[in-house]
Amino acid sequence: MKKYIKIVVLGVLIIFNYTSCSDEFTVVDPIGLINEDDFLTTDAEAESVIYGIYDLMAWNYNRPWNSAFVLKVLAGDIANAGSTTGDQPPLQQLDDFIHVADNPAITGVWEGFYKTIGLANVLIEKLEVSELASKDKFIAEAKFLRAYSYLELVTMFGDVPLRITTPKSIDEFGLARSSKSDVYAQIENDLAVAINGLPTKGAIGEPFRISKEAAQAVLGKVYLFQEKYDLAAIEFETVISSMAFDLEPNFADVWSSSSENGIESLIEINYVSTEKYDWGNFPWGGRPESNIHAQLMGPRGDAFDVAAIGIANGWGFNIPTAKIGAAFNNAGDVIRKNATLISEADLITAGGAVTPPDAGIHDYEGYVRLKYVTKTEDTDGPINELNYGINWRLLRYADVLLMAAEAYHKNNEDPKALIELNKVRDRAGLADVTVTGTALFDAIVLERQLELAFEGQRFWDLVRWGLADTELSSFGYTSKNQVFPVPSNEISRNVLINPEDQNPGY
Amino acid sequence: MKNQILKNIFILGCIMLGAFAQAQTVSGTVSDASGPLPGASVIVKGTSNGTTTDFDGKFILENLATDAVLSISYVGYATQEVAINSETIINVILVENANSLEEVVIVGYGTKKKSLVTGSISSIKSDDIQNNASTRVEQAIQGKVSGISVLSNSGSPGAASKIRIRGTGSNGNADPIYIVDGMKTYSIDNLDGGDIESIEVLKDAASSAIYGSEGANGVIIVTTKSGNNYDKPLISYNSQLGFQSERTKMELMDESQYRTYLNEAGVQNIPSNGINTNWLNEVFEDAWVEKHHISFAGGTDKSTYLFSGSYTNQDGIVGGERANFKRYTARLNSKHKINKWLEVGNNLTYSNTSRGIIGEDDEYRGILNNALLMDPLTPVVYTNGVPSNVSDLINSGNTILSNEAGNYYGLPAYATGEIANPVAMLTTQKRNIKTDKILGTFFANVSPFEGFVMTTRLGIDVNYSIDHNWNPIYYVSSERQNSLATVDDNITKNSSWLWENFATYTNSYKKHDYTVLLGLSAEKYQSPNYYLFSGPMPKEGDNYAYHNYTQDDDLDRTGGNFIERKKRSTFGRFSYGYDEKYLLEGTLRYDVSSAFSEANKGAYFPSLSTGWVVSKEGFWNENSKIDYLKVRASWGQVGSDQNLLGNEDLQFFTSEGIKIPDGNGNFLPGYEAGNIPNKDLTWETSEQIDFGIDLRAFDGRMTFSTDYYDKQTKDLIVSGNSLIPLSVGRNFGSINGGTVSNKGWEFELGYNNKVGDLTYSVNLNLSTLKNEVTDLAVDSPIDGADVRGFATTRFEEGEPIWYFRGYKTAGIDDATGEPIIVDVDNSGDITPNDITNIGDPHPDLLYGGQINLGYKSFDFNLNFQGSQGNDIYMLWTRTDRVYSNKPSFLYDGRWTGPGSNASFPKADVVSDELYRSDLMVGDGSYMRIKQIQFGYSLPSKILEKIKLDRLRFYVSVEDYFTFTNYQGLDPEAGSANNQSQGIDRGVYPIPGKIIFGLSLNL
Repeated sequence: MKKYIKIVVLGVLIIFNYTSCSDEFTVVDPIGLINEDDFLTTDAEAESVIYGIYDLMAWNYNRPWNSAFVLKVLAGDIANAGSTTGDQPPLQQLDDFIHVADNPAITGVWEGFYKTIGLANVLIEKLEVSELASKDKFIAEAKFLRAYSYLELVTMFGDVPLRITTPKSIDEFGLARSSKSDVYAQIENDLAVAINGLPTKGAIGEPFRISKEAAQAVLGKVYLFQEKYDLAAIEFETVISSMAFDLEPNFADVWSSSSENGIESLIEINYVSTEKYDWGNFPWGGRPESNIHAQLMGPRGDAFDVAAIGIANGWGFNIPTAKIGAAFNNAGDVIRKNATLISEADLITAGGAVTPPDAGIHDYEGYVRLKYVTKTEDTDGPINELNYGINWRLLRYADVLLMAAEAYHKNNEDPKALIELNKVRDRAGLADVTVTGTALFDAIVLERQLELAFEGQRFWDLVRWGLADTELSSFGYTSKNQVFPVPSNEISRNVLINPEDQNPGY
Repeated sequence: MKNQILKNIFILGCIMLGAFAQAQTVSGTVSDASGPLPGASVIVKGTSNGTTTDFDGKFILENLATDAVLSISYVGYATQEVAINSETIINVILVENANSLEEVVIVGYGTKKKSLVTGSISSIKSDDIQNNASTRVEQAIQGKVSGISVLSNSGSPGAASKIRIRGTGSNGNADPIYIVDGMKTYSIDNLDGGDIESIEVLKDAASSAIYGSEGANGVIIVTTKSGNNYDKPLISYNSQLGFQSERTKMELMDESQYRTYLNEAGVQNIPSNGINTNWLNEVFEDAWVEKHHISFAGGTDKSTYLFSGSYTNQDGIVGGERANFKRYTARLNSKHKINKWLEVGNNLTYSNTSRGIIGEDDEYRGILNNALLMDPLTPVVYTNGVPSNVSDLINSGNTILSNEAGNYYGLPAYATGEIANPVAMLTTQKRNIKTDKILGTFFANVSPFEGFVMTTRLGIDVNYSIDHNWNPIYYVSSERQNSLATVDDNITKNSSWLWENFATYTNSYKKHDYTVLLGLSAEKYQSPNYYLFSGPMPKEGDNYAYHNYTQDDDLDRTGGNFIERKKRSTFGRFSYGYDEKYLLEGTLRYDVSSAFSEANKGAYFPSLSTGWVVSKEGFWNENSKIDYLKVRASWGQVGSDQNLLGNEDLQFFTSEGIKIPDGNGNFLPGYEAGNIPNKDLTWETSEQIDFGIDLRAFDGRMTFSTDYYDKQTKDLIVSGNSLIPLSVGRNFGSINGGTVSNKGWEFELGYNNKVGDLTYSVNLNLSTLKNEVTDLAVDSPIDGADVRGFATTRFEEGEPIWYFRGYKTAGIDDATGEPIIVDVDNSGDITPNDITNIGDPHPDLLYGGQINLGYKSFDFNLNFQGSQGNDIYMLWTRTDRVYSNKPSFLYDGRWTGPGSNASFPKADVVSDELYRSDLMVGDGSYMRIKQIQFGYSLPSKILEKIKLDRLRFYVSVEDYFTFTNYQGLDPEAGSANNQSQGIDRGVYPIPGKIIFGLSLNL
């Protein structure tokens, strides 16, 4: 009897120990993830991380409701927030210069740039110690993308934490703000590496990727923003003389789908209309491949009938101010005006209609925006609203020419400045500018306002030129608004940034 | 490893030392003063060998040692021990003992006499569960015992509850684990209350430490009913039928108030249009509920069985059949004595549930949220033609929803954006979750010699759930529309097994009693998930909502993930008692889990508890009114690994969702670095001390217990993403971020007596709770629930866990009508830096009570339950939708000019200083009459004639009366999100019910 029992008990224990006592039993490999030790051993893997950085950039400039693109446009005197009263308070506040430190759009954009930088840091760190033969070109591209993100950050926020390594432990999470000059120095270093390692425009396979010439143009912009005009002029001159880029012959074509990644484009973020997004599968919290901000910025259906001019309705944000409309009229700038916005009268003439609801159209000042508008041809089914494939042109050749003109002018080379400025005017069908000195500078200011309207340049130009007070105080601008506040949750989480380190006035 | 070998040797040693005494058979009758007692328990002391008496109070036990001692017990009677001394017939008369201290309570891996328990355990018996119309067992626990809070996620049929034992001790999942007949599971939604024999809530660490790394949030042990050796099989049937209706007192502005308010707020002077829709009235309906339970129980002295089945069917008071919850359960519990040393058995249940889901707990698109926001000038349906804006929409090809009579539902007359006609939107709700679940254990008990039992038990928990939805076409506004009929399914299959082997040895030497428990266990959990999406459907309708028939492959989306966890454990317990006077117990568990990092792969969880039965001391006055007094103290450390994912100490790269267009019409796949690894990550440890007193007085008529506890949850797991500075630019998984303290007192008081034919009992319980985050590893607070882009709850040192954030007001400026905001940072300006603590979602006090009366064939009971001192943050309002409707208190209390002595600011539809301020924080205290039940049982004379053992009819009113000052829909219904406790986005209120019930035994 006892023998049987012992056998039973022993048997149970043996089986049990066999299944559970080995250390292997409690090891579970993660699903769908690659361990770092098995990664970045091939060109393709390194390149896939580069794509990851571009994807973060595409997300940051298109993040539903918190896009870097929209943030840059709404500050300034070109666009009003639009939509209906009170809709999307964070965007309405930005438009009205009521910048608060917990504005989710400001926080979101801060996060977006640092996410881009964070992945670039990982790739740079890992490649720098890797055996991969072709690692330099990937390091160059990652450093460009990091430098570009820091340029945006330093412009929008002033001093920012300069995070160029991955923290090894929680103790390294805190990082104080670095001075603008230190941030610019890092940007210049990164761009130098990028220019050295990037292929030329002609050698690039995938059209969205950064070329050596584009990196040089950005370096020129970096110098220009620091008022290092002589250095800026050299970079722009190199870019122009490379003949890698040119202006689209027809201004309106710059935003057409046919000119995507075209001759005028230096930095362009790609979105597509082929993802077949539907209300049920659109990744609101994720990373859409279509440009959802196009829909956000289409004219509202309850107020505007725009079908006659080939435009679909959207959610009404980013609506022109009367000031930009008047600026086109005063300058007699017809070609660019017609490609940038349309007045109510012209819209009605073209077969459209404006039907304000009882309480009026919020923020509407008589114009409907056409640049980056919801053109029916730029989207596709099944749900047109969700599938706009419009690319953001972050840096285009006309901007380079105007920056070159500015750099030459400030460097006392007005004749060279006039050449570049007039290339841009020429395309717009406008007479050459011939004035010099301050008048030339004023001409460049106006030219940038009209050429680059709704592209997120104007406000940052006004700030660096010292013109923001004059131009913007009627829009609610005060001097504190020259930079955004550092997001309040950065201050509360970053132990090396204290409330007193906040930008003045916030 | 070494430990386990030692333990194996020990167990084998025990076996070899064991000796068998000679065997004999004993039979007898157990009775009380009024006759035979069926169902009394007769156990051979020191073994699990035993039986229960049949319908005539008879029992028979075979193969007993001649020196065996029988322990005879029955609930409500004093346990007697009788040495058989070679007798073959033993008759016992049990003495009624109204106290419950001789009861046996279930503890981890065993049972224990309540009088000898040194931990803090509350018990709930079957009677308290099955007469209740709640469709989920958790709801039936609410208010019954101290120290446990049951927070309904929603009042919708079948909705889960968050159960918190002694406060919220974790910042993520803080649910207790459930042990159902020995099997660990994370939800008991598949159980019917009628199958439950008892529920024990293990509250202190000493009681739950035997469950090691999963016991930190408390343990709830559920024991299901089993059959007995009755004279004849017992057939019982319970049925409840009833009506549910909304009981909210909430009021919205009517059309005239709405128009006035918007005009005063400067939005628009809206003319009257003759329509005044009360959307709350429109969205609520009366709904049906029914429950049926039948069981067959019986057995022989060798085998017992219980077979049962149940059916539950509940419609929603919002959405009716669309929110329907149906559950079928079937159970087979059986136990068989194979021979004198081996017993095998099983407890097995299968359930099938189907739950219709109505969009809720959503500040944009929830049905209730929209009912609160829709303007009252919109008609429910257009009965006399449609306005021109609607006919324009129809003409341009938009699908406007219509009712069965073909009339179009009203489109918002003024409200904008996502806000839609909630009655119309109900027709678009096509989501349903169907779940099949098998939960059970198979076990064998080997008792080779007296006092020693070895159990091997295999538990399985398999859960297969399909979350099915399709999206019909409709148009409300450009923000609220769907122009393609699509279908999606989310399929999850959780399966786990748990194999436990443990041995118990009980013995005594003179007055020393001791029990040793040693065990080993291994478990594995796997959960694959699959997501499918496709469209367009060939035609709208449930029949077409399947992926094979959708018409465009390009729309297809798939997704999924896979979770796996494994664990092995060693555990032991030593209990010692001297003369049932001095009690001592210690437990230790060692867990090795796949969720732990390499650096901390194994964890020890110890506990120690002690008790002193003062009333057994010689100095105790035998004539004292107090019959029994025990003081006890316990200490223990328990873990929680429920918020650990595993492998968080390694750096990975992921490609999930990362691709970019290449500019030529194709995509390039990208990779990204995953979370920054955290090598030091470890489980949460909850350390708790508990002091308690158990007391019984007035010949057992009164019972009283009190506990003080202090629970510190250390190494609290915090989502790293919520505290890592954004400038790091990376995600960070989890960190051990802080310490949360929960302290409180608990009281349970019971009194019962009999006056003539009237029996009565009163049970009251009360718990206090103080919750505070006492330490945060990082020097920064953590933001929680995001409502419309703003963090509204926070986890911060020195504050309650996930307290509310907003502007603090100091009255209304009588000159301007604007709220006076407290300048918290003294900067001179009101900025977001002035946002501060404006409310605490945690109650200071929880209480509950039951009053039972019985008079001859009539019975009456009343249950109530309440919560005091918790706040609710009303965040369904939309400052970005200025035409949305508002609660009427904003109108009634508004400032209308100097001297208006207003409680709310002047009419304002946009200001954060109103809508994100303490003006929108309400007192969530409430007292709810959970149940008033009146029953009648047929007297035995009639029963004999109709050949029934029992027949009782009753009528019950449940959740019908609520006393609260809260002005939202329901102070009780909450959120499913752990960080959103107390955030009201427009909740589905808990329905009142009127129930007619019947129970009969055959």
